[in-house]
Amino acid sequence: MFERFTDKAREVVVGAQAEARERKADEIRTEHLLAALFRVPDNLAVIVLGAFSIDKDAVTAEIDRLRPGGRPAIDAEALSTLGIDLDEVRRQVEEAFGPGALDRTRSALGGRGWRLGGHIPFERTSKKALELSLREAINLKHNYIGTEHLLLGLMHADPGAAHHILVGLGMRLDAARVIVEELVRGRRAG
Amino acid sequence: MSDATKVAAAASSRDPAIGLAAVASLRGLLESLEELQVSNARAQGWSWQQIADVLRVSRQAVHKKYRRYGF
Repeated sequence: MFERFTDKAREVVVGAQAEARERKADEIRTEHLLAALFRVPDNLAVIVLGAFSIDKDAVTAEIDRLRPGGRPAIDAEALSTLGIDLDEVRRQVEEAFGPGALDRTRSALGGRGWRLGGHIPFERTSKKALELSLREAINLKHNYIGTEHLLLGLMHADPGAAHHILVGLGMRLDAARVIVEELVRGRRAG
Repeated sequence: MSDATKVAAAASSRDPAIGLAAVASLRGLLESLEELQVSNARAQGWSWQQIADVLRVSRQAVHKKYRRYGF
């Protein structure tokens, strides 16, 4: 499936890994794919979102609101209220066990798995969204999967957080399809 | 204020949001440090019983908790 992805669409998938990692998630969820669209400069998905006045800040705010549990398992600020200097603890631990030792522990990663540099699996709805982006491309008679199709797939994948965020921010699937069609036609013409 | 009294002050903070968050993070830090130390002890050939004795827990407890980590 990924062989039909454009370079930018691939960058989005890679970016979603980074999003999931930074948010200490153990799976790549649809909202990570959605956020990753904004990591790739100059792509059609962002233009389509712009047509609905949806920008990066709005999406990020919605994602943050979605999972308020985004606070780290070991929160430096909270520990400082106990007089514990996390930086100092980290320094001591790294002296004994090497760089990154404390942050690599399961507890620091949110209690599940050694995911720091490793591969993070796609959640089921994310996989579905990727499949749906293929279907969206086929329906539009496009022989590649670009960021614009990823966006339609995310919108289409109903139980996903990205779908709910996009609907909440005013995006409509039918209208988005029309915009994608026009944009792509315009690109080919121009 | 000495460190000990500071700890006592925050641990008894009347604002639950602050106090509980501090306890949660302290637990997280504790778990991280324990994991590092148990891993290190195993790597140095310590038995589960030896580790349990120093941690003041049962051998079963420490073994059950860390066995799946592959230490």
